[in-house]
Amino acid sequence: MRLELFSTHKKTYLTFILIGVFLWSLLAVNWDKDLFHSGGLSTLFQILEALFQPDLSKEIILLAIQSTWITLSYAVAGVGLAIVIAFILGILASGIFFEAGPLGSLFKTIFRGVLGFLRAIHELVWAWLFVASFGLSPFAAIFALALPFGGILGRIFADMLADVPEEPIQALKSTGASRWQLFFYGYFPIVKTGMLSYTMYRFECGIRSSAIMSFVGLGGLGYQIQLSLDDLHYDEVWTFIFFLIAIVVLIDWWSSQLRSKWTHSTKHWFLPFSSLLTAGLLVGAWCYIYIVDRASIIELFSTKNLEFAKKFFANMFGLGDESPAFFNGESWKAAISLTYDTLRMSIMAIGFSTVLMFLTVLPAARNVANGKLTLTRRWYNWVSFAVIRVGYILSRAIPELVWAMMIIFIFKPGILPGAIALALHNFGILGKLCAEVVEDLDARPIRHLASSGAGKGQILMYGVLPSVFPQFLTYILYRWEVIMRTTIIVGFVGAGGLGQQFKLSMSFFHYSDITLLLFCYILLVWAADFISEWARKTVK
Amino acid sequence: MKKRLILSFSLLIVLALSACSQNDKEETEVDSNKVFNIGAIPDQNAAELNRSMEQIAEYLASETGLDVKFVPSVDYAALVTAFERGEVQLAWFGGLTSVQAMSLVEGAEAIAQRPRDEEFHSVFVAQKDLQLDSLEDIKGLSFTFGSESSTSGHLMPRYYMLENGIDPEEDLAGEPNYSGSHDKTYKLVESGTFQAGALNEAVWEGAVKEGKVDLNKVDVFYTTPAYYDYNWTINTVDDVFGAGTKEKVKKALLSMGEAQKEMLDIFETDKFIETTNENYDAIEKVAKELGIIK
Repeated sequence: MRLELFSTHKKTYLTFILIGVFLWSLLAVNWDKDLFHSGGLSTLFQILEALFQPDLSKEIILLAIQSTWITLSYAVAGVGLAIVIAFILGILASGIFFEAGPLGSLFKTIFRGVLGFLRAIHELVWAWLFVASFGLSPFAAIFALALPFGGILGRIFADMLADVPEEPIQALKSTGASRWQLFFYGYFPIVKTGMLSYTMYRFECGIRSSAIMSFVGLGGLGYQIQLSLDDLHYDEVWTFIFFLIAIVVLIDWWSSQLRSKWTHSTKHWFLPFSSLLTAGLLVGAWCYIYIVDRASIIELFSTKNLEFAKKFFANMFGLGDESPAFFNGESWKAAISLTYDTLRMSIMAIGFSTVLMFLTVLPAARNVANGKLTLTRRWYNWVSFAVIRVGYILSRAIPELVWAMMIIFIFKPGILPGAIALALHNFGILGKLCAEVVEDLDARPIRHLASSGAGKGQILMYGVLPSVFPQFLTYILYRWEVIMRTTIIVGFVGAGGLGQQFKLSMSFFHYSDITLLLFCYILLVWAADFISEWARKTVK
Repeated sequence: MKKRLILSFSLLIVLALSACSQNDKEETEVDSNKVFNIGAIPDQNAAELNRSMEQIAEYLASETGLDVKFVPSVDYAALVTAFERGEVQLAWFGGLTSVQAMSLVEGAEAIAQRPRDEEFHSVFVAQKDLQLDSLEDIKGLSFTFGSESSTSGHLMPRYYMLENGIDPEEDLAGEPNYSGSHDKTYKLVESGTFQAGALNEAVWEGAVKEGKVDLNKVDVFYTTPAYYDYNWTINTVDDVFGAGTKEKVKKALLSMGEAQKEMLDIFETDKFIETTNENYDAIEKVAKELGIIK
């Protein structure tokens, strides 16, 4: 009986649980004490003032163009390699090439596990591991991008391939097609648009990740932002951020054009143009990295380098350390308390983004702005639509790490600034995704509500929310997984949690502490993946 | 579409391979030249530091005949790692980083320092209108250190805070911040972001002399007792560049003077003097006490 009750009301229960968990996470912050630095607010105004007066001197613009190219070329090289990894591992993990049976599913599980491991660790942590073990080389940044991105893309590819309907494949099979023919004429045409659109989205993420590789010594926009922040030149900071936004917007536009042209006609000039552009970018990026940045794969695997890598991993495993952190009760206690903080930080972050998203999602939907959904046309609807959409772009184009670097000037160190930085970045993404859900709504029931005189809040509660809820929840949970991976990064700049301790241990060369912290971090990421998958299945 | 896809992938692979082989040749040429890399901890304004270090690289090249290059580093730990890996031969380290480097590389040697490094101090600064006059007054204020790897911006200030009964993790308003550099520390206090901070005395004096800091807004309220700080630490270069290289480099550094004023300015000094590893034993002891070195 009780179980039955749960299953009929499980959406409601889950919502209450999630809200409860969010409220619990808020208890982690001492709201009585002042949260701002004594001068935090005035710093905030300085930063906002600079937003409207970016430094547009010729010198800075030239520097920005140069840095944009560096950021772009590493993103292209990294994501390009990630696609290769994702293709190979994704096909293997989808199981379409294996015979059904225990051996086939064993292989499938193994390759899924590999993909899961690759994507559990954030690209900046990979980068740091590569730099510490193989030294600072352009490949450290490229591989650091390629591995987690390959893991994420690979899983999506695998899911898409596994979801391909049986019938067309069976039809092809009956004509005697080989496995490769099955793949190229059966599977690939069905999944190609989905793959393309997701790949383009990852490319956009790659730009941001490439920018923050400045933390391990890669030049580019992130490096310039960091330098300008060090000198507190906020006007320069915004100039570089605008360039970052510009590439993100351009890629977004390219992706949407490409998707619509590809599905509607196959003979549009935009398609060969895009292929050429892709090839041009790939050639340009690799040439730049090889010729100007003098990357060398041979040097990467020199005996000297292997010696250092061996030494590094021995240190990580605590060999030669009298009391490695993972055999030390005190270290465990500290690490577990940080893990707990980090968990609360991530929940707070997704909670803040969700609240902000709910406040803005209606005016941000096109069908609300043009009055088609609510049957009321107001000129200011377009103004609020534009303002919120620009806000979304600003929010998501700026990487969490850059948000965090600015936020710690305003809030006192701890997990609150970390949560806010993560929320600021994710709210834009969540808002965009959810606004699109609202745009795809069946308008009839809502028009009905509107015509019977319901206000905006009532429309949201009784019209929009019930029909979009499962989709919203999926996106919220999915973003929470991403936030969990990123918590460690905002800690690097002092925004609390595991990341902050990680950075300190790195600076003090306490290798076995790092191993312990990494272990807690991966556990947290996996737990988040698991819980989020369970919750998504529950609402389905 | 399929063909195009295959084409672009194969293009990518061919490109990567050809670039590999081309690069191979380049590498051997560079190797025969053996670049003598120098580095410096990024403890102050990066642009200025880079400019001066490039000049010092040029000066060392002309004095020693070596092919000297300056490699910028992102943070203190990155420079220590590069030094350990033998990618940097000569580095301008702080006390703590030099101790870290000496413990990682057997045979690494502190060879030169500024006269002031024999008696170095950290200054504690605070917003002027708070009118602090002793170290105990920082209890309950928001506070920033410099880089966590900095001797004068973190290690020694933390040590003297503890000596005076202040626990940085407990007694301040929130946890202490790590700004990353000395310049940033006083700027953050000046701009009002933090109420107090600790930084390197030399950087502070330079900022005051050049009028970079507004003394109506921020001022010194406590200066630590003296300790040994910055030095030039040299790697085991004689094995790679031939016997006598270390001496040559040391001589070049010690003979810098009036003619090299422009490059010495960033170090706030007019010459370098001799030093030895033993001078840094006290720093090592403090770092061990604070659990920074194990």
